[in-house]
Amino acid sequence: MSSDYEYSDQEYYDEDDEQMFDEDGSASDMEIDAFPEDFKSKKGKQKSYEVPHEPLTQAQIEQFMAQDVENISGIFGVDVSIVDPLILILAKDRLIEKYMDNPTAVLVKAGLELPEKQTESSSRSRASQTGPRRSTRRQNSDQPRSGVSKIIERITPPVEDYGPFVCPICFDDTQTETMALACNHKFCSACWNAYITSKIRTEGEHWITCMAEDCSLVTPDKFIHFALKDDKATWERFQELLVRHFVSCNPNLKFCPYPSCTNAVSCPAASSKSVLTTIVPIVCCGASDSHKFCFGCTIDADHRPVICAVAKMWLQKCQDDSETANWIKSNTKECSKCQSTIEKNGGCNHMTCKKCKYEFCWVCMGPWSEHGTAWYSCNRYDDKSSIDARDAQSKSRASLERYLHYYNRWANHEQSAKLSVELYAKTEKKMEEMQITSELTWIEVQFMKKAVDEVFKCRMTLKWTYAMAYYLEKGNQKALFEDNQRYLENAVEELSELIESPFEPETIATLRQKVTDKTVYVQNRNEIMLEDTARGFQEGRWKWNVTVNGFDQAEEGEE
Amino acid sequence: MDARLRRVNKEILDCKNDRASNIQVDLIDNSPFHLKGSFNGPEGTPYEGGHFEVDIVIPDSYPFQPVKMKFITKVYHPNISSASGAICLDILKDAWSPVLTLKSTLISLQSLLCSPEPNDPQDAEVAKHYMTSRSSFEETARYWTMIYAGGPGKEGLKSGAKSGSKDEVAMAGLEKAHVDQFEALGFDRSKVIDVLRRMNYRGANVAKINDDRVVEELLK
Repeated sequence: MSSDYEYSDQEYYDEDDEQMFDEDGSASDMEIDAFPEDFKSKKGKQKSYEVPHEPLTQAQIEQFMAQDVENISGIFGVDVSIVDPLILILAKDRLIEKYMDNPTAVLVKAGLELPEKQTESSSRSRASQTGPRRSTRRQNSDQPRSGVSKIIERITPPVEDYGPFVCPICFDDTQTETMALACNHKFCSACWNAYITSKIRTEGEHWITCMAEDCSLVTPDKFIHFALKDDKATWERFQELLVRHFVSCNPNLKFCPYPSCTNAVSCPAASSKSVLTTIVPIVCCGASDSHKFCFGCTIDADHRPVICAVAKMWLQKCQDDSETANWIKSNTKECSKCQSTIEKNGGCNHMTCKKCKYEFCWVCMGPWSEHGTAWYSCNRYDDKSSIDARDAQSKSRASLERYLHYYNRWANHEQSAKLSVELYAKTEKKMEEMQITSELTWIEVQFMKKAVDEVFKCRMTLKWTYAMAYYLEKGNQKALFEDNQRYLENAVEELSELIESPFEPETIATLRQKVTDKTVYVQNRNEIMLEDTARGFQEGRWKWNVTVNGFDQAEEGEE
Repeated sequence: MDARLRRVNKEILDCKNDRASNIQVDLIDNSPFHLKGSFNGPEGTPYEGGHFEVDIVIPDSYPFQPVKMKFITKVYHPNISSASGAICLDILKDAWSPVLTLKSTLISLQSLLCSPEPNDPQDAEVAKHYMTSRSSFEETARYWTMIYAGGPGKEGLKSGAKSGSKDEVAMAGLEKAHVDQFEALGFDRSKVIDVLRRMNYRGANVAKINDDRVVEELLK
């Protein structure tokens, strides 16, 4: 049952994906008008480093939700309004399974039905449901109808005919209007209103239970709408909370992490954790081109081509090490016996390792026993044992050195990317001036923008290729990877140099030609880099020199 | 009239009229939104005979948000902070329901004294004490009740205690012999009490913690 449903879901996404890509393609057509035709040759064909996804606005998510609600109500054969809270508490597929198994349990858990003990005493209409749990399963066909009738009962405030009603919350006996859920806990509508408003407004809660103590019945949408009366703002806030919860429960959906952006993205291709070893689901929420984020992890930027697990490892390492690595390098040495890092903060050169009690000379790193009585002065630099000790020392230094090599490049690309954007801001001003002073048209001075954008994009790619290279195992594959990296890097450096070259109205035409050519080349190189890496992931070509989450078994099997 | 004020007034009146439950609610600084509730320690517990006072603040969105309560009287109890009087009780947090009243909440506090929940502690040190040695915990709780809540205390508990001076060792739920032992090593008495309390140097634990570790802690 559940797989059927998911399958139809998939189809729905696919159709929309194609539409989206068409739109995407034509949108970028206009932007790059100034560029040669072959630029867009890849349009329509999906690149292997791109993951199909669909940006959704708030309204579209609501539509999605409505659709899910309808689907479930169709399958269960229950009223639409009953499904709303249902859908929100359990992942869809499991929900259907569980419902088929034991509808009462699901309804109780969803706060739509009272646990049986209470049902007996309070709800007349549900008398038929009070049998032992097993029997409810056979009464499946009764379920829909009783659900519907219950809904009607819930949203119709029972009219109080007999005796003055004293609301147990505000102790007011002048209130005539009362409301209650199926549990029949009556309260005046003013209290309901205040309660629901406070839940939604101050607690940000969409899961509002009956006000009575220990009553787990949940107020359905219609009831809330009714209770809120004309309070549109709170109702809208409630809707928003529902949508938020819906998105957070749905593995295919994710909100855009950018501040005050309300869009979400649907990316069914990246909904499970296991696919993250083969794809890098960088998605865009559609609100702005810069709103790019990773669907698979919490890094809120494009970390292509490297996969989430490796990117995360790298960032973690940088956080742990980068600040201190340099300091360690310049201020400490390792004990040549146990490799613990030692800082010499004064005193003589006769060192005793606190950990392994090894005694050595700080200057030559050789064992102290060979120094005899030559305290405070080391003249034994060339002795064999000291050389050995220094070798061991340099080996452990080498790993730090290696890390710093990658880290410096990684950081450098980030820095350069920022600087090139800053530089562009200046260039842009000059361009605008030039537009006014010379007879160049707007379109003719736009090539710079495109080039800077491309440099920025490629530097981001390059940045992450260093993170990836750090963890790649030595071998032909890594050599190929580094070749691609080098080509891209060279091209990017050349282009950034061109961007920075001074320009005058007379030379602008040639500069424009050069920059445009280079931009196209860089773009191609970037494409190759991304394509090849992405394909490598899909083919399982990359081998790591550390254990990467999700790769464990594959690695062991092949080595 | 404001619904919140009407409700609070009615609740205060309810408590006044109900003599049977022995729950009192009084105004602090003349505002009906800042109150002092009090009740007697439940019978058959170490709190028996004590009179406990609770500070009550009625929030603006009462009764839709829970009242804020904390003990004014110091209480030795796993779910009540021995320092601040803060209370860990579900109905004062997420299990609050608008139908609960001041009276019912105070009764819940009273029953909290009967049935501590050491697995969800507010005061971890007290909870540890409770888990290690129930009888020692009860003795300390009784001592606190006597000192702070005007309880009768156990006959012949500690000779000097009755005269009004507080016995720090009993307050911390420790054995006088243990404190003397470490004090004899030259450490400050209050520091010894503090460390032993933190290390839960009670009951079966005494055998598990060796003296060196205690000294190490004392030297820190």
